[in-house]
Amino acid sequence: MNTHDTPDPLRMEPDDLDGHTIEELSDYLDSGRSPADPSIDESAGCQIALDALERLRVLTPELIAADTAAESEADEGWVQSILAGITLDARAGRRIPIVIDPPGPDAGITEGAVREVIRAAENTVSGVLIGRCRFDGDVTVPGEPVLIRVDVSVPYGQPIPGLVDRLRTEINMRLSAHTTLNVTGIDITVSDLRHPSSRTGEER
Amino acid sequence: MSHDRDPLESADDTIIAGRAADGDTAAFSVLVRRYTPMMRAYARRILSGSAEVDDVVQEAFITAWGQLPKLDDPGRAKSWLMRITSRKAIDRVRATRPQVDLEEVVLPAPELCAPARQAEARAGVAALSDALQELPAPQRECWVLREIGGYTYEEISDELGIPLSTVRGLLARARKDIIVRMEQWR
Repeated sequence: MNTHDTPDPLRMEPDDLDGHTIEELSDYLDSGRSPADPSIDESAGCQIALDALERLRVLTPELIAADTAAESEADEGWVQSILAGITLDARAGRRIPIVIDPPGPDAGITEGAVREVIRAAENTVSGVLIGRCRFDGDVTVPGEPVLIRVDVSVPYGQPIPGLVDRLRTEINMRLSAHTTLNVTGIDITVSDLRHPSSRTGEER
Repeated sequence: MSHDRDPLESADDTIIAGRAADGDTAAFSVLVRRYTPMMRAYARRILSGSAEVDDVVQEAFITAWGQLPKLDDPGRAKSWLMRITSRKAIDRVRATRPQVDLEEVVLPAPELCAPARQAEARAGVAALSDALQELPAPQRECWVLREIGGYTYEEISDELGIPLSTVRGLLARARKDIIVRMEQWR
């Protein structure tokens, strides 16, 4: 294992690696050096190369972080240029019939619009943010039981059961006002707790 | 950092990407602001400083918007966006690269005069950065996809449209060349 008398530690040819190749050594590192291979572990040349490969592996995330920090932030013009390129109508989703009593002209609301109705409930429960919203059940068939599932983010430090209860009540009221869905339940999953000085850029 | 402008800025990707999947453009804007620098950095490494970086990232976001509803776990938005970014960057690479035998692209022997400017705390990262810049494009692309993008060898082969054996060879050579160059400043 003594490496200090190696005149040129930079050579990485199979001759220097006791017959192994850099590729084999990379695979060996990838596998966590398991199962142990004595012909690698006992080769000074291989150990030098493995050390170098490991240093490289440690540096890679640092490189990504440094590269990312060196890039400029997204300014408003950039964000707008992207928003200008996206199409909004793709999110309408299925048409959900609205049952009118007595039966009248055909009426309906899109899934996208119902999701907006649900998201708007967050405005009355301070600090709560609603994420993805899912409908379990066939919303296109009047009277079919439908389970609503939403992910939410809540601020750290507020009692979660109270927030969730208020949000559920609020969503339920709004769905009753805007749809005729047969809502059997509203599952709320708190997937994110926000701390006061939380992220503004995940990578910063 | 936290100028309290938009509470969405402080929510995690599951919430933000989930909302964007449901059609909320404000949430999508947060994703754009959050990951633009990282996606630019990644595209720049693949394309090696090309002026097309912004086009690639813009296309990546537009594609992402269209595909978000199909993303099963919005909490994985970051790696998913990186994947889309590399695909867009590779499209550029494949469209512009003349058909050459990738195995024949050889690296000139590194010069043994590592400049003294790297004698600082960031020396390692700077040396890696320089070493990457000096790699021939096919080697650099393979290395960046593997080590930054987390691609498997098979995925690199598929994306770049080159045989698996070529990918293995290019990666081995890239690693060797990077190490040799980096050892010079140690």
